[in-house]
Amino acid sequence: MIMERTEVSTQAACATETPSRGALPPWLIWGGMIGLVQVFAIATVQPLGVSTAYPQLVGYLVDQVVPGFAESQPYLQKIGAKIGWEVMLVFGMALGALLSRLLPGGARTAACELPALFRASWARGLAAFVGGFLILFGARLAGGCTSGHMLSGIAQLALSGFLFGAAAFATGVLTASLLLKRANGGR
Amino acid sequence: MENTQLLGLITGVLFGFALHRAGFSRCGLVMRGLAFRDFTMLKVMLTAIAVGMVGAATLATFAPEAAHLKVKSLYVWGVLVGGLIFGVGMAIAGYCPGTALVGLGGGVRDGLLAVLGALLGAFAFILAYPALEPILIQPLDLGKLTLHETLKLPYLPTALAMAVMLGGIVFWLNRLETKARAERR
Repeated sequence: MIMERTEVSTQAACATETPSRGALPPWLIWGGMIGLVQVFAIATVQPLGVSTAYPQLVGYLVDQVVPGFAESQPYLQKIGAKIGWEVMLVFGMALGALLSRLLPGGARTAACELPALFRASWARGLAAFVGGFLILFGARLAGGCTSGHMLSGIAQLALSGFLFGAAAFATGVLTASLLLKRANGGR
Repeated sequence: MENTQLLGLITGVLFGFALHRAGFSRCGLVMRGLAFRDFTMLKVMLTAIAVGMVGAATLATFAPEAAHLKVKSLYVWGVLVGGLIFGVGMAIAGYCPGTALVGLGGGVRDGLLAVLGALLGAFAFILAYPALEPILIQPLDLGKLTLHETLKLPYLPTALAMAVMLGGIVFWLNRLETKARAERR
């Protein structure tokens, strides 16, 4: 079985292992690397942005089954139901994660604490699906997601990026705090 | 494969690899990050934004022909409401649209489910767009505003100052975390 289930542990054992003395911490190395990937993207085609690819891919696929679908939808006329830079970026991201997992050092990403509500496997799966629905719907309404509005928007000092970041963190912090509070008996 | 498609693929592989190594294939990193139980998510994000900020402004200043910037429009209602919905989804799923793909590629079941939910969300938005556009996207569209242009500040110095500020926040978060960890021992 390729897919593994999210392991549940009550201890905080996230990817932040204390690095050996003198070595750079992983968050600094990989955060810096993502920044450099951003510079590469800007220098070659356009700033990083992930969420546009989802409706483009959906439009492309549905159009294969129902010809004329893409042409009939105003949103797809606007963004194009095509396999371009955006969709290839998204394929590349899954591929890059797979490569990281298979290459030495990739299996070390540890499990993390989950809310008690999600301890049942089916509840956790449902939450991932519903949450996935909301992030894409919200991102397309806002015109970008964590990458387009924050990694790219804020990096370009775009006011839309700051507003999106503030709004997303407001409800995100509230929701996550409530969920994790219940996980720890109201602590 | 066209040139831009190939560039997209290469960029994606590098981006996905880095996100996976930073630990984002697991939903817990985002959940705990949003609840301020772990600062890894914030530290990675702010570091990446600071590096991108300096890089974007440097390119725009010294090699404008190589700076493919793309500032998004500030249509207040859509960005605000979309951001609020996005935050709830991110906390429930523990993923954003990019890290869900990293979860999928990293072989985590919940990453696959989040990607499937996201595809359905995208489909729903395509259908809802004609109804939403006149009420949330068209009104109060202030255009492609940036901080430095709005305040009439020079681009590169503003970007450098903001990046130093972000670096300061990262340094402070890291110290808080190191201290809290030392106290727990």
